[in-house]
Amino acid sequence: MSVEFHNVVKRYGEATAVAGISFTVEAGTLVTLLGPSGCGKTTTLRMIAGLELPNEGRISIAGRDVTTLGATQRDVSMVFQSYALFPHMNVLENVCYGLRRSGQSREDAARHAREGLRQVGLESYEQRQPSELSGGQQQRVAVARALVLKPSVLLFDEPLSNLDARLRRQMREEIRELQLRLGLTVVYVTHDQQEAMAVSDRIIVMNAGRIEQQGSPRDLYERPATPFLARFMGESNPARGLLRRLGPETVRVRLGACEIDVANANAADGEATVAIRPEAIAVERPENGDTNSLAGTIARASYLGTHMEYSIDTAAGLLFATCPRVERPLAVGDPVALQLAPRGVIVVES
Amino acid sequence: MTSRAPLAWSAAGLIAAVALPWYALQEGLDSGAWLTGLWSSEDYASGFGQIVEQGRWWLAPVLLALMACLAAALVPATRQQRGTLLLIASTAGLLLFVAQALGIGLRGWTAAWLTGLFGELEVRQVGLGAGGAVVLVALLSLLSIGLALRGNFGGDAFVAGAVTTVAASIVLFTAWPILRILVQAFQDGDGVLAPVLLLERLATEKIWSLRCLSGGGRCGVAWNTLFLAIGCGVGTTVLGLAFALIVTRTSFGFKKTLRVLTVLPIVTPPFVIGLALILVFGRAGLVNQFLEWSMGIEPTRWIYGFHGVFLAQLFAFTPVAFLVLIGVVEGVSPTLEEASQTLRADRWATFTTVSLPLMRPGLANAFLVGFIESIADFGNPIVLGGDYGVLSTEIYFAVVGAQLDYGRAASLALLLLVFALGAFFLQRRIVGTGSYATISGKGDSGLPTPLPAAARRAAACVALPWAAFTLILYGFAFVGGFVKVWGRDYTPTLDHYAKAFAVEHTADGLIWTGAAWNSFWTTLKLAAIAAPLTAALGLIAAWLLVRQRFAGRAALEFATMLSFAVPGTVIGVAYVFAFNVPPIEITGTAMIIVLCFIFRNMPVGVRAGMAAMSQIDRSLDEASLTLRGRAPQTLFYVVLPLLRPALVGALVYGFVRAVTTVSAVVFLVTAEYELATTYIILRVINGDYGLAIAYSCALIVLMLAVILLIQFAVGERRLGRRAVALKGGPA
Repeated sequence: MSVEFHNVVKRYGEATAVAGISFTVEAGTLVTLLGPSGCGKTTTLRMIAGLELPNEGRISIAGRDVTTLGATQRDVSMVFQSYALFPHMNVLENVCYGLRRSGQSREDAARHAREGLRQVGLESYEQRQPSELSGGQQQRVAVARALVLKPSVLLFDEPLSNLDARLRRQMREEIRELQLRLGLTVVYVTHDQQEAMAVSDRIIVMNAGRIEQQGSPRDLYERPATPFLARFMGESNPARGLLRRLGPETVRVRLGACEIDVANANAADGEATVAIRPEAIAVERPENGDTNSLAGTIARASYLGTHMEYSIDTAAGLLFATCPRVERPLAVGDPVALQLAPRGVIVVES
Repeated sequence: MTSRAPLAWSAAGLIAAVALPWYALQEGLDSGAWLTGLWSSEDYASGFGQIVEQGRWWLAPVLLALMACLAAALVPATRQQRGTLLLIASTAGLLLFVAQALGIGLRGWTAAWLTGLFGELEVRQVGLGAGGAVVLVALLSLLSIGLALRGNFGGDAFVAGAVTTVAASIVLFTAWPILRILVQAFQDGDGVLAPVLLLERLATEKIWSLRCLSGGGRCGVAWNTLFLAIGCGVGTTVLGLAFALIVTRTSFGFKKTLRVLTVLPIVTPPFVIGLALILVFGRAGLVNQFLEWSMGIEPTRWIYGFHGVFLAQLFAFTPVAFLVLIGVVEGVSPTLEEASQTLRADRWATFTTVSLPLMRPGLANAFLVGFIESIADFGNPIVLGGDYGVLSTEIYFAVVGAQLDYGRAASLALLLLVFALGAFFLQRRIVGTGSYATISGKGDSGLPTPLPAAARRAAACVALPWAAFTLILYGFAFVGGFVKVWGRDYTPTLDHYAKAFAVEHTADGLIWTGAAWNSFWTTLKLAAIAAPLTAALGLIAAWLLVRQRFAGRAALEFATMLSFAVPGTVIGVAYVFAFNVPPIEITGTAMIIVLCFIFRNMPVGVRAGMAAMSQIDRSLDEASLTLRGRAPQTLFYVVLPLLRPALVGALVYGFVRAVTTVSAVVFLVTAEYELATTYIILRVINGDYGLAIAYSCALIVLMLAVILLIQFAVGERRLGRRAVALKGGPA
């Protein structure tokens, strides 16, 4: 167990940023702290780093209690959102910095720093100033600088938010690849759920200073425990439906005229909030003899190249749906019949 | 760090309590005579010697607390427990230390109720010496280590130590002296508290009379000071704004020359302008001579009084207002002005409804600076005031004059302090802390709107003649040093320079025979000691205030701001009162002058440091911390290299202000430690203008040289070939 939080609380004056959270990060895994801005994820990361000390609770890293230790005394290093490359040092000096501060000789530090730069593919850039590098290169220097210290935990604070969309995907793949190759323990903060799902072994979703749910990306997407999570992990339409239990593992959800059998083990009978994933809504032109479908009218339609996006007025409210068929799009005002796939209908609150 | 640092500090304290004399020595430490008397001699004994041999039992609890710290460092304990133990022991030690230092003085117990409680003392104590000082420092360090071990200050002992050092030194050398003024103002000659006395001292005609308004006689000094200060504040703000608008918003061709005008007063001792005015308008000045020669008008003493002081202050402080306002004018976002113009406002409407209101906080700030500079000014009123007394000169005469009335000096100083702080708070109330004209991190691609024609003409009419006049004054001041006797004999001569700076080459080598050398070298030496300490303390304080979160941060920031508003005269008088009796007895030494320099000038270093630091992304510090760089290393390798411009500024300011200041040190100089400015002022009062001017010019040259030297030694900030914003990466 590499990082352990025990009922950790952080307050700034009156405001509580982190309200008593506990979690563990297993060695060799990449765990993401995910949540909207102001949810306490960055504060949590900074408490792992030792840049903030908790008001209550206990933090241990690699089995050692570090609760009152400052950043310098902990075996962690961090990649910052702004990269925080020292503008008055060149690339090699930047990567050497931590090694020199840990007491390595100039030669050893340079050797290890070159090794680190090789791992991120920047061996020929050592004499450049940070300002002469592209965003992606700066990012890699920041990673190399943190990596060469061989920390027990490597921290990433929204590392991709300053990159453009294309580079973002490439960098997140590189980070994941590096983590798997070197068996690093990584804690990663982001507010982008796609990014989180793409890189993580496990995701901890935070909201208002608390942990909302934690689990594998698939767990969180397919079995969100709260309405917040269903909204936050991917898109979903909230709707009210009527529940009736069919068996220990199945319930039947009634939405308007349509009934869907959904896997669920604990919801009680009665009215409930369900979340409907937009990709689980099949948008069809109505035909005679439609059974078990939800009637509606197209309110908005947009063409996005790879798919269509529709907003549809139904008895269950305004539903947002994506449709992979783009060749014969529907127009505003067209009547439609919606089929719901059981996989994308989730009971979130009964 | 867990136990070595507290061990080292406890040991250092205890060693000092054995091996260094506890009290201050008359002859200083260098003589070495104390080495043999550490145990038995009354004067030389160390802390333990004083307890055992001299019967100064009150030191025992302090040293016991120190031994408790040693024990806390040695026992096996967790960080948290050790921190708590150290905290308790060192706090107890500090409280006991302060209690005995304040409670027992030269004449035994310092308060009657203490004598009643403990009985008459047979032995007393003098000022604190090396041993006592080291024990105090050790206790403070142990306190900060204890706090850090318990997880305060981010668990960092260096930060904790820095906060303790800055806070303790501000308390000791700013808050405590000012508090002493308060006490002194309420005391009679024998040190007995008598609150009524303050009223008696302050409620006199001489201070509050308003007879000048009704036409008969003079006004009181308090009104004089206020009238002058308000006039100076308004005048410098208007002139400064005119200059700032011309430089930033017109295509005026001689902007560089105007910028030079802003450097001159920084390196000019404040009374030089006064001197130049005497050369032009004085009894023997050019104007009077011309009038006498052409029209037979008797020379007048017109310049001596309100007009003279007011003019001199306008000349001296307008450039300061300009410096403040140029930042304000540049800070008005061009985008807002462009927005206004796209909303159908013409240039004039834009200027009056958008630009000017946005500058309002800055204008209030410039007024405050002019106001405070004016009430703090001592050089010009003493040179030009004549019968027009102001508070700063009145305080001076109360302390050094025949009156020798400390109580009156303290009361007047209190009044001056109230004026300064009153203006300070009024400004904060009116403006609030918010300024809209801050420069955000976002790029602002708009173009500054040119001034409307009417405003441009007005600004030019005010500013340009004024600039020309300033240059002429400086020119006269310069020439004045090279003529025999101004007003009577204009033969060119180098006599004044020779008299001041003669060097004779004899068989024994060089002999510095000039009259000025003594004060010159003292000034140079003390300023050179003070400047780096000022810069270091100022920048460390700035770093703490901007970068660290700790309890009492707001109070510390407020204290540094406040000491900026305290007039130099008040500080000077306060130092005299606070440091001529135990526990800290340093009046008449060079140390008190250096301390005065440091704590007078540090607030500016703090402000400059804070401004520069807030432009450097905080994540750079944090990156260094997570890369195993401890706080001092982060400061040294990351923050300082990026702060070079601020460092240069703080060093230059620390040095230049130490050389040019008059008001504070005029109370602290002695025959042995005479400073250049006070020497010059005395020459001016004696009418020896030639020598005074020659010396002033030499000082200006010296300061320009030192500025270049500092610039060269500290060097430029190296940020790579491309110009970059000081962020860790593209934002």
